[in-house]
Amino acid sequence: MNFCRYAALRRQLLIDPQVLKNGSCSPDVVMDNPLSQNPDSMWGRFFRNAELERMVDQDLTRLYPEHGSYFQTPGCQGMLRRILLLWCLRHPVYGYRQGMHELLAPLLYVLHIDLELLSEVRKVYEDHFTDIIDGFSFHENDWTHKFDFKKLPEYMEDCNGSESPVKINSLGELEPKIQTIVLLSDAYGTEGELGVVLSEKFLEHDAHCMFDALMNGTGGAVAMAEFFSPSPFGGSHTMFPPIIESSAALYHLLSIIDSSLHSHLVELGVEPQYFALRWLRVLFGREFALEDLLVIWDEIFAYENTKFNKPGTNDAESNVGVLNSSRGALIAAFAVSMILQLRSSLLATENATSCLQRLLNFPVDVDLLKLLAKAKSLQALAVEAINSTPLLILPRLHGRRNAGFTKAHIPSLDLTSPRTTLNMAHESYWEERWRVLHMEEERKQGSAASAEKQVPNRKKGWSERVRLRLSRTKCDPFRSKATFRKKNETDEGRKNIGGDVDFGHKIPAEVEEQDVKDTNFSTSETRCSSGCPGNEENSSNISDLSTPVRGTNDYVNMSGRSSVASNFSAEENDTDSVNFEPLQANPESSPLPVSELDPDDDTLNSTQNYHSVIKQAAGIKERKLLSDKFQLFWKFGRNINEGTSDRAAVSEDAIACDSGSDCNNVAGSSIVNGCNSTSGISKAEIIDQNLIFSLSDLGQSMLENIQVIESVFQQDPDQMGSLENCKNAIVGEGHITAMAALEELRKISNLLSEM
Amino acid sequence: MVLVLALGDLHIPHRAADLPPKFKSMLVPGKIQHVICTGNLCVKEVHDYLKTVCPDLHIALGEYDEETRYPETKTLTIGQFKLGVGHGHQVIPWGDLDSLAMLQRQLDVDILVTGHTHQFTAYKHEAGVVINPGSATGSYSSINYDVNPSFVLMDIDGLRVVVYVYELIDGEVKVDKIDFKKTTASST
Repeated sequence: MNFCRYAALRRQLLIDPQVLKNGSCSPDVVMDNPLSQNPDSMWGRFFRNAELERMVDQDLTRLYPEHGSYFQTPGCQGMLRRILLLWCLRHPVYGYRQGMHELLAPLLYVLHIDLELLSEVRKVYEDHFTDIIDGFSFHENDWTHKFDFKKLPEYMEDCNGSESPVKINSLGELEPKIQTIVLLSDAYGTEGELGVVLSEKFLEHDAHCMFDALMNGTGGAVAMAEFFSPSPFGGSHTMFPPIIESSAALYHLLSIIDSSLHSHLVELGVEPQYFALRWLRVLFGREFALEDLLVIWDEIFAYENTKFNKPGTNDAESNVGVLNSSRGALIAAFAVSMILQLRSSLLATENATSCLQRLLNFPVDVDLLKLLAKAKSLQALAVEAINSTPLLILPRLHGRRNAGFTKAHIPSLDLTSPRTTLNMAHESYWEERWRVLHMEEERKQGSAASAEKQVPNRKKGWSERVRLRLSRTKCDPFRSKATFRKKNETDEGRKNIGGDVDFGHKIPAEVEEQDVKDTNFSTSETRCSSGCPGNEENSSNISDLSTPVRGTNDYVNMSGRSSVASNFSAEENDTDSVNFEPLQANPESSPLPVSELDPDDDTLNSTQNYHSVIKQAAGIKERKLLSDKFQLFWKFGRNINEGTSDRAAVSEDAIACDSGSDCNNVAGSSIVNGCNSTSGISKAEIIDQNLIFSLSDLGQSMLENIQVIESVFQQDPDQMGSLENCKNAIVGEGHITAMAALEELRKISNLLSEM
Repeated sequence: MVLVLALGDLHIPHRAADLPPKFKSMLVPGKIQHVICTGNLCVKEVHDYLKTVCPDLHIALGEYDEETRYPETKTLTIGQFKLGVGHGHQVIPWGDLDSLAMLQRQLDVDILVTGHTHQFTAYKHEAGVVINPGSATGSYSSINYDVNPSFVLMDIDGLRVVVYVYELIDGEVKVDKIDFKKTTASST
């Protein structure tokens, strides 16, 4: 049979370079030395085989650990390895792909189990295994008879090891199953003309043949190897790998059967190949336990695999090549019935990630028979669907693949189990896109989380704005660049600035802790966008609070800093001025929390308490202002995050130098703070200190700040001119708004001082 | 199927700038399991480069080595073979087979790898094999000016070792092969 072929192949391909040296007559050593770069050299092949073997081994060690008693034994692993290596060497087009071992394993398992059963039956019913010809029973020991030599070794073993058999006289008395087994082993009976069907010695050969047949499709349509192939199927006229085509066919079938679920999934951006890849490549091997899988495979393989030949099909309209048989239709139908099983939970989820999670972690306790019955009922439909899967679907799929990235959440490719073996170029691109979006999403969630804490009633408008802001990336890099540059220009004052900036840097990392960050977010947000006067509120809060703690610089330094700050403020328009606005609201609310707050609270508590203060303040203010602020703040925080990573240390130093309430310093630092965001931790410390200060101090500092800002605005715009053009435009706008904001700040400070 | 690279006498940077590019392109990491160096590297950078080819590196001290902490001789066991490394300037007359055989008996090794003469040689005598990989950079020696770059790759498989000699002659890499079989598997 194929045994000889397999044996020959084995000998030929799994070669040892040494062995060949003995026989061969001086191959060209220049070509065949171990270091030869020549790809044809024996050594080259040897190293390539070694590489392949390494990959195979990697997978084999992880194969079916729950059935480790069989699969992890060295004998079985050796067999699997040899079969896989041989197949891959014979089909270098496909190479070895993860998943092939999972196709082979159940085959081997089945063979092994059958063999075990056979040997057990043999032991028990030994009599029936003897050759009976013409009424005489000839034992295997009689060598004059021609019989199947292969049977000999096992039978000898069985004879030696058998217990005394139960006395059964005729074959007919045996159970039907055992009858079959006995008959199959009968080398001379009608069934035996095939030779012995099960044989332990040739287990490996059999498994290899089966695996080969499975992968090649034996002339039929469903060739599993196609699912591993990166290149378009020969017969198809689309430019997509077969696995993509099949996944598209799956979705097509689903749309016919259950269009609402289909549209729901499509809307979420759940591309079929995310989960279908795993399902199809291993023929559902990873979704079900081994025993269930065998049942499923029985059903699948019972269906014929001959290709459907639609007469009159012109080339323009192609069918999905690889699923183009009744077996293929059943596979598709089964997949669809699996999706339908999860229908309710899929429809309930609103994001693609959890959808995929549901699909990829198929529930264990499903009624398999129900699934199979459903699949069979859908199979006829599937045949039709697959025959008519229009080409149009696939380009759209491709288009959607790209579009989906920009729109919906892109679920991580990591979700599709370690066996995702899409084209490497695809994977890196997708992963990259996912990461970009995921980061944005994280930040959004981070700021959303913080925003929610602050302004629960405001979330809706804010999140919408955030989405809009998401697209606004043009000026942000400039921002971070400019701020970076600006920061480098100053020295002492820079520390505070750096500290402020770092606050934004730390924001995404410490979202949960630092509620105060929200206000800082708003600060940065205002800087980023233009013309949002309301945004400065919270930032001014923070700046004010932090000012009492600020540095040791005198007014001169402050003015230097403020000039820098003014640049910022100029760029980021009305940050500073607006900073002071919310204080009007805050003073009312802040006395209560301030008195309540225990200065000994840990930083977290204090920030949270302060945060609640701000919350109240925010509650008083206009909604729009705050939401805008959050957006800008978040945006800025993101930019700062990207732009500045080394200023953390600087900020820490800056903030560490707490001092008495030097109003001048306060003013200067407040400006700086107004312009930037400070590190969360430092903020916490500052807030601790701040709780101690009275409101009158705040008012005082506000006044100072206003003065400084005004003086700054009167400075010549050469500093502004140094900014990029983008900022100039914003600066112009901000300038006006800043003036307006300053006026308001002045009013607030007056109020405060009166209190 | 253990591949062992034997080379030495590179004299980088004093007498040669680097290995010939053709040699360098052949020495790809991942293929070779051990590296034996007879000495005279001379600087640490060469040591690091050899480490990238294979992490298992054994070096003997040559008279020009700047890192003086290498041992004068070293023995190691690979498969069924015992290998010994020395630089060779201690063995007088330089390159003399009998004297080298004395050293081999002293170290009690099957394969002795020494250098210093910058000339490839491979002798077999009843007790074992003496190999001189020559100079991998082709640098001049105290006794010879015209030197071809060469090194040796040993393929140790059970009781048999195949020695591949790579020489750069007139800009072309020439490969030669010598088979040695160990007569007894004794470990004494």
